[in-house]
Amino acid sequence: MRILFQIRPILAALRSHKTAVMLLMLEIALTMAVLGNLVFVVYGTVQRSRVPTGVDESRIGVIQSIGVIGTANSGTIENDLAVLQAVPDVVAATYGGPPLWFTQRDSVFLDPSHGHKLGRVYEFQGSQGLSRTLGARIVHGVDLDDNEIPAVTRYTPTMEIPVLMTKALGQHLFPDGRALGGVIYDSGNNPLRVVGIVDHLRGSITGSPDDDWSIVTEFMYGHQDGGGGFMIRVRDAAQLPEALRAAAAALQKANPGHVSNKTFTMAELRADYFKSDLASGRMLVAILLILLVVTALGVSGLASFWVQQRRRQIGMRRALGATRRDILRYFQAENFLIVSGGVLLGAVFAYALNLFLMRRFELAHLPAHYLLAGAVVLWLLGQLAVLGPALRASAVPPVVATRSV
Amino acid sequence: MFGYYLDLAWRSLKRTPILTGLMVLAIGLGIGASMTMLTVLHVMTDDPLPGRSAQLYTPHLDPLPLDHKRRGDGPDASDNLTWPDAMALLKAHRATRQAAMAGGSLLVRPGRTDLRPFYVDGRYATADFFAMFGMSFEHGSGWGAADDAAGARVVVLGETLARKLFGGADAVGRTVRLGDSDFRVTGVVADWAPQPMFYADASVKRYSDADQFFLPLSAAVDLKLDVNGNFSSWGQDHAETRMTSPTTTWLQFWAQLDTPMQVAAYRQYLADYSAQQKALGRFQRPPANAKLYGLMDWLAHENLVPNDVRLQLWLALGFLFVCMLNIVALLLAKFLRRSGEISVRRALGAGRRDIFVQLGIESALIGVAGGALGLLVAQLGLWSIRQRPDDYAHLAQMDGAMLLGTLVLAVLASVLAGLLPAWRACRVAPALQLKGV
Repeated sequence: MRILFQIRPILAALRSHKTAVMLLMLEIALTMAVLGNLVFVVYGTVQRSRVPTGVDESRIGVIQSIGVIGTANSGTIENDLAVLQAVPDVVAATYGGPPLWFTQRDSVFLDPSHGHKLGRVYEFQGSQGLSRTLGARIVHGVDLDDNEIPAVTRYTPTMEIPVLMTKALGQHLFPDGRALGGVIYDSGNNPLRVVGIVDHLRGSITGSPDDDWSIVTEFMYGHQDGGGGFMIRVRDAAQLPEALRAAAAALQKANPGHVSNKTFTMAELRADYFKSDLASGRMLVAILLILLVVTALGVSGLASFWVQQRRRQIGMRRALGATRRDILRYFQAENFLIVSGGVLLGAVFAYALNLFLMRRFELAHLPAHYLLAGAVVLWLLGQLAVLGPALRASAVPPVVATRSV
Repeated sequence: MFGYYLDLAWRSLKRTPILTGLMVLAIGLGIGASMTMLTVLHVMTDDPLPGRSAQLYTPHLDPLPLDHKRRGDGPDASDNLTWPDAMALLKAHRATRQAAMAGGSLLVRPGRTDLRPFYVDGRYATADFFAMFGMSFEHGSGWGAADDAAGARVVVLGETLARKLFGGADAVGRTVRLGDSDFRVTGVVADWAPQPMFYADASVKRYSDADQFFLPLSAAVDLKLDVNGNFSSWGQDHAETRMTSPTTTWLQFWAQLDTPMQVAAYRQYLADYSAQQKALGRFQRPPANAKLYGLMDWLAHENLVPNDVRLQLWLALGFLFVCMLNIVALLLAKFLRRSGEISVRRALGAGRRDIFVQLGIESALIGVAGGALGLLVAQLGLWSIRQRPDDYAHLAQMDGAMLLGTLVLAVLASVLAGLLPAWRACRVAPALQLKGV
């Protein structure tokens, strides 16, 4: 309770340092505005980097291939797949690419005349075994069947093609819930019949809901040669690096004209995909930490000045019966009041900054609890910064009062 | 007087080393962070071709139908030219030099058995490309208009690729297999990588390595070679015919215009051409949509600086502002505490002006020290930027102008921060203060 009685004299004392107090409040307010918004931005990035693609990421490896070079070296995809499948630990292999890796995007329509566009979807296209290798979970209907997928040699621009579709895309295209068995059209003229619904399959991870709008199509490949990506899935994630090396070597051995550029695991692909975003996030955190340090130094610097300036008054108070504890509390309460003023102003600034960022950088709305957390951090920071000067103040002996200046 | 004030400032700062240290640290960190991001912005928006950029222009036409809508996230279809338009502009020959171009990535199959096939980036261009951009040939030369017309299978190699394929030997006259065709080398150019690569399509990395091959655009179209960049179609174009279609844009076009008169004439020509195409029924939009951008204007229009760099710049400047507030508060405390000393000087005949200048010099001294610290911080910041995986990262280096700019900004910031405290201090009423002493 005693602290409450002190508030009025504190306010009275602060009034004589109006400009300095206002400046400090402004500094704290700006720090809070930056703190809240930055943490929000960085947390969003970190959260995004953890969104799963929906495929069996820890067990998938990719061999990027230019194809088979030279007329003397003829290779076939059928043969390549057989070679890959024969590698120990490999449970599935396919000719096709993983998510986050040049996944093609195309518009889809409900009518063949392309009158009514429904949105842009990620198209995962590959050979037999694509869906098995991706390992996406089928929640309705059936997986693509090697006996029912069209042979790539028999392709005509109007034939019906069976596809898998993500749940999210199904709900978007068929709000009545009848996605399974439904037919859509991509920018070509082929009707695509939905035979199965997969749980999730994200072509890229941008944070937008249409990341999860994907379809999977397979074609039966035989004696064709092809370059691009080969994918394998292994039984045990720990075996992946070894199996991927063995698979690339087997592909090379089966056909010396095969030119593979590089191999990578899905985990490496993901790390690479988010590398830039996370590096930028680290930079923001570094700036933020320095900002907090500077603010703390400012608070602490001004507080020690005030302590020095008021040595005589402090001595008088001590001589008149104030305990060391009272003096300590006085400076702590003073700091709390200044920081509180700054925090109130900071909440307004934070929202203003958020509005600006929303307009310029398509950021989401700042949730209120970020402000609360920011306020708590600044209160703690303020108390930490003032502790040194306040302790020095409480150590001022009463005898100072009796000395002349 | 300046020397005396400097001496006073030095003594005053020495008397409170911790506070002085705090202020120098604050300005150093604020300046360091700001200059790091300003340097990144500076190198990203720098002139890629000093001395030549003022004469380079890129014409833009608007062949899109009236009802064509740009997809929200998609590229602007009218950023590039269609084949018929590019050829018409080339043949009209209204500029000193002009060239149409597009980027490509081709598989190189080395004759040497110890080298695996690999992909390289290069450019399909027309004959004037080399002379217009002022590229220097190490050996041989480019190709001529006749080769363009014939779609000759000739190629100019970049120095790095030539050395990789042929070692130290002269590559001119040798044959290189690119994609599925053989090309005869007519010349080797010194590696040339303007940053940003202003002449490339908007969708490719602009701060990347030098192009390593250059071959006639007509040959690339004959052979239907792969193109790096946007193909924007608004007609019923198939992959087979889109390269020469009048409803698909994919070509970049640059022209060298030496005098303002030439520039004006070229603008008029573009408008006339558009009007003529509109009269023919090919264009639907007003001829005034045709534009001629200078090189730097074009880069500004393209807006190459990524959002996260802008965000970080804003943040760094905000940070500098917070640091300045900090210093204002600390200087205010410091100056007002010296009211007694100031009053004595005033009583001895110093004017307000003198006090103001004295305190200003003290602020500037803090700025100089802060600027020196800021330079160190900025070097550290730029080092950390260079570790980033982005394509512009390797450019993050400070040049002389930015070095000087750092110090100037630091002194400016600290003097600005000292204005209010100094003003308040020089308005102290001497009589009141002296009574107390």
